[in-house]
Amino acid sequence: MDLLHNPEFGDKLVTLMAAFVLVLQIAMVGQRSLVMNIRLFAAQSFLLGAIAGSIAWYNHAPHIFIAAGMTILLKAILVPIVLERLVDRIDIHHEIAPILNTPLSIMISGGLTLVAYLVGESFYHPEAGAASLGHNTLAVAISVFLIGFFMMINRRKALTQVLALLTLENGIFLAATCLTYGMPLIVELGVFFDVLVAVLVLGILVYRIRESFESMDVSKLRRLRG
Amino acid sequence: MILPILLLTPFAAGVFSALARTRRAMEIANLAAFSLAFVLALGIAKQVLDTGSVSLWGGFLYADHLSALVCLLTASVSLVCAVYAVGYLREDERSGAFGGDDPASTSQFRKYYTLTPLFVTSMFLVALAGNLGVMWVAIEATTLASVFLVTFYGKATSLEAAWKYAMIGGVGLSMALFGTVLAYYAGHHLAGTDTIAGLNWPVLARHAAQLDPTTMRLAFIMALLGYGTKAGLAPMHTWKPDAYSEAPVPAAAILSTAMLNCALYGLIRFYILTSRSVGPEFPGRLLLIFGLLSMGISVPFVLVQKNFRRLLAYHTIDHAGIMAMALGVGGKLAALGLMLHMTYHTVAKSLLFLCAGNVYQHYKTDLFDKVKGGVIHVIPATGAVFLMATLAIVGMPPFSLFQSEFLIVRAAFGAGLYLPTALFILFGTGIFAGAVLHVGGLVLGPASPEPVTPLVPWRDFSMLGLAAVLVIVAFWLPGPLLELIRGAANVVTGG
Repeated sequence: MDLLHNPEFGDKLVTLMAAFVLVLQIAMVGQRSLVMNIRLFAAQSFLLGAIAGSIAWYNHAPHIFIAAGMTILLKAILVPIVLERLVDRIDIHHEIAPILNTPLSIMISGGLTLVAYLVGESFYHPEAGAASLGHNTLAVAISVFLIGFFMMINRRKALTQVLALLTLENGIFLAATCLTYGMPLIVELGVFFDVLVAVLVLGILVYRIRESFESMDVSKLRRLRG
Repeated sequence: MILPILLLTPFAAGVFSALARTRRAMEIANLAAFSLAFVLALGIAKQVLDTGSVSLWGGFLYADHLSALVCLLTASVSLVCAVYAVGYLREDERSGAFGGDDPASTSQFRKYYTLTPLFVTSMFLVALAGNLGVMWVAIEATTLASVFLVTFYGKATSLEAAWKYAMIGGVGLSMALFGTVLAYYAGHHLAGTDTIAGLNWPVLARHAAQLDPTTMRLAFIMALLGYGTKAGLAPMHTWKPDAYSEAPVPAAAILSTAMLNCALYGLIRFYILTSRSVGPEFPGRLLLIFGLLSMGISVPFVLVQKNFRRLLAYHTIDHAGIMAMALGVGGKLAALGLMLHMTYHTVAKSLLFLCAGNVYQHYKTDLFDKVKGGVIHVIPATGAVFLMATLAIVGMPPFSLFQSEFLIVRAAFGAGLYLPTALFILFGTGIFAGAVLHVGGLVLGPASPEPVTPLVPWRDFSMLGLAAVLVIVAFWLPGPLLELIRGAANVVTGG
């Protein structure tokens, strides 16, 4: 059997990779080292690119190849490099200090996954001609999105919040890829451009916060009130 | 071909200022670009009034009455603020706010005169994008372009404000992106299923009734949370007072008026689609709740406010709430009220910011306590206009915000929304009391021994010019502008 031309195999492959995306997301919640977190993010983005690539291949939608390539180039290579250099520059290799401890955080992530499956179920209409692989991957996308949210709230350090925001974006990208086989190309390119600029802008901000507060702990940013 | 030229004009000024060496060159580039942009926005308005809607490059750019109105308001505010900025930044340099030496102050000028035109370019793109996805990209770009305007003075508090602004804005807009993806999903199986046109506004609007209702409901919630964050609707408003009080005043004036309009514009587009797909009830109720919540939350903060720039920010939250409520009420009258309110609010609120900037620059503080009243004796023009604009913004007749708020209340009452209307009036009274009390105390009061300060060129003339506009629109709205506002209201109600 020719696996390269069997769409059913493609579906399974995509679902498997989507599951790994979710696993990596939960690993990021549990992982306490900052550099490791950035690498997990890079791996997750690489998988996303691979998912987009598989969908493009098995559904003969060549325009998604561009999105896949951009994801790998930008989110799996460029952004992690920028972030790791930033970590070097501001010289903080120590741990992420989350507000809740690891077991509790992972339990909450599990709960959010459950919620995501319930939500994903409610607006999935295969008869409307939507992507056939939307079912599980959509739930995964929503989970990644929700867990990204939780990560943002749960973290105190500026740079780790940026990472959480990026994974949140990954969730949306996954949703867009598997629900509709990607957004129109022009939108896709615009979103990539925004992500790149956002990483640069936030990177500069993190650097300057570090310089003037001697810390990246954003819970110390509380002079402005009322 | 006016549409792309409007986008290119401020963009070119931004690029030019990034490369220019002297302050003078940057000022000229900015003033020229914003004057030209204003004329071009008038041109677009005329074109839209003549032909209905304009579409270009396969629907990549699109303008109807609503986009033309938002463009025109953005162009007017940015022109006034560009004139104001010339005086304001020169005064900053003179008083040593830029750190004294020449290279430091040139780099401050460069920062302002580069980022502001780019910020305005992205706002024009919000209004002119024919595609909901591109519109999202443009709204995100407004945040990215303005983050470093918030950190302009480089203080610790500015960094804090910018961090909040970027993060809350980023999370909010990621929700809006999800909403956009869902809207695309809801429509991608019908819209001629051309993947390029699937998010194009005319295509979506034409097929809005066939969009999948369940998906559109979720899409609307996401868009409301996302663009609501950008508009500063409660409870996602917390970045607003910080960003507005840290950014240089002309930039804050643009943030609180033109950018608010752009965020609402995004929300209005989603409202139109959703109300056609699932009926106006669902999105309307949500908007009413968020609108009333924003108004309610701003009341105590306005009442006990110590800082006049933050007072204005809470005021903007209140007005974002009023406009969200007007959109939620639905119907022709409320839509007309919404568009009038957007126009009038843009004039009055930017004027208030300019006045607050003058007071801040003169007294070097934005705390009521430290100014100790009597502004009108020291800087008479600013004091008088500040009081007048405050009366206008709280909805005192004869100023025009009274008309628009009255229309909204009338429409809400007519729609049988008695409790929301009552709350609207209650909150409005609270805001009225707070704002008039505080600004009255600031402006009036015993004469101080300080001599009267003469007018500052550019800065004060732009303020007086805008004040004249506020007085004029209280009694007379040019016919074509009224027609444009009516047309925009028709876009909302789908007439």
